[in-house]
Amino acid sequence: MTAVLRAVISSALAGLLGLDSVQAGQFLLSRPAFVGPVLGWLNGCPLEGARLGILLELLYIDFIPVGGVVPPNGTAAAAAAVLAHTAGLAPSLSFFVGLAAGALFSPLDYRLRSARSAWNPLVEAQVRAGVFSLRRWVARSLLIENAAMAAYVFAWFAAAALLAQVPGLARLYPGTDFAYALMPWLGLSGLYFRFRTQIYKKG
Amino acid sequence: MFFRSFFMQAGWNYERFQNLGFAYCLQPALEKFYPDPEKRKAALLRHLGLVNTQPYMASFVAGNVAAVEERAAASPDAEAALKSMPGVKQALATSFASIGDRIFWGRLKPMTVQLCVLVWSAGGFFGWLFTGLDSPVSVALLFAGPGAGIAVYSAFAVYWRWRGLKVGYACGGASSCGLDCADWSRLIRRLSAAGFAMSLAIAALAFGLLWRANSGAAPADLAFRLGLPVAVMALHRVSRAYGRSVFFAAGLVLAGSLLLFSVLSFSPFKLYL
Repeated sequence: MTAVLRAVISSALAGLLGLDSVQAGQFLLSRPAFVGPVLGWLNGCPLEGARLGILLELLYIDFIPVGGVVPPNGTAAAAAAVLAHTAGLAPSLSFFVGLAAGALFSPLDYRLRSARSAWNPLVEAQVRAGVFSLRRWVARSLLIENAAMAAYVFAWFAAAALLAQVPGLARLYPGTDFAYALMPWLGLSGLYFRFRTQIYKKG
Repeated sequence: MFFRSFFMQAGWNYERFQNLGFAYCLQPALEKFYPDPEKRKAALLRHLGLVNTQPYMASFVAGNVAAVEERAAASPDAEAALKSMPGVKQALATSFASIGDRIFWGRLKPMTVQLCVLVWSAGGFFGWLFTGLDSPVSVALLFAGPGAGIAVYSAFAVYWRWRGLKVGYACGGASSCGLDCADWSRLIRRLSAAGFAMSLAIAALAFGLLWRANSGAAPADLAFRLGLPVAVMALHRVSRAYGRSVFFAAGLVLAGSLLLFSVLSFSPFKLYL
């Protein structure tokens, strides 16, 4: 029960931090490097949370949200990874669960953004009617995004808890552990080539 | 307007991008300039059209547009005063998006990760490199890493949001407004150089740590354990060259590891002794 309650609180917090990604602020509070240790600390595993967070961050830094591109979501990735670990999966498998969760959030994000296009005529009609406040549309956007992220993260926690009950799952761990040990190098490679390309192109 | 600029992307949609956030940011200025509800309504509807720029640099556009609206509100011929506004707004949005994407998304954001890794390493925490290492580490240090990156990045972002509003408002109406307020090319070049230097430092640190962790290994073992990360980095490079994302490389590494150590049951080993 405590684990479920913690997962609910963690999911709600992930929803709140996720707003920083697009909807409000953009202080990088939604990045996996921050979400990981925060949720890890909340769930009693700060070190593993920080490690999952930074390794996901190193891979997710490869994606740039320019124009209308919907990149894989780092908040969903880090939150799902930490909660998968607290649900009973090994950190290595939790990492790959998080990787998948972040990538699969993009279609949901795309639908949310598309759905908001339908708001434009409604906002205009409201202004034409003489009601100038846009605050409720902004608040609605924030609330829906928050709820979607929280529900999504909690769904991954539930799925991970079910997965943890599958017999023979431990047979995967030698493979996932080894792949996980190589992830920092994959991330460092991304970091290196990002700046090397920029230097090569002279800015 | 400054406080509301933090919600510039609220309501982001595919039809008109940041229109809702932009109009919300501009609203206090419009309320001040247009006491007449009919004129205010027309002004607000003008800014519910398409806007797409970089969220931090949007302040330059918002400041500029606010100045134009102020002039139009005071002018007897508002239509003439607003004639060039849509073109200027579009031109500035595009220009600042390009600059902002390069500075914030392309350089500063990856640098916050580098800063995090360097702070952790300075504090003696190398768990970011060795996934099986569970040495005790203080929670304060775990938060200091990402906290340092966030502090530096946010200070920079908040500064440009504020400066953008001020500069944009001061030279409102001009299509080059704010573009000359800093040597953007030089700033971008310097950030690239700093990021590359930190990348090299982190790569050297990582290989140095791996070398030290395998100091008792036989030469062939050492070469293999140092060669494996190099092979992973090369795999990433090749994936990029073929237009594949880092997820593709991660998937290949996972599939290979599962095949070798879970399906074929080879004895797993660690990268360090």
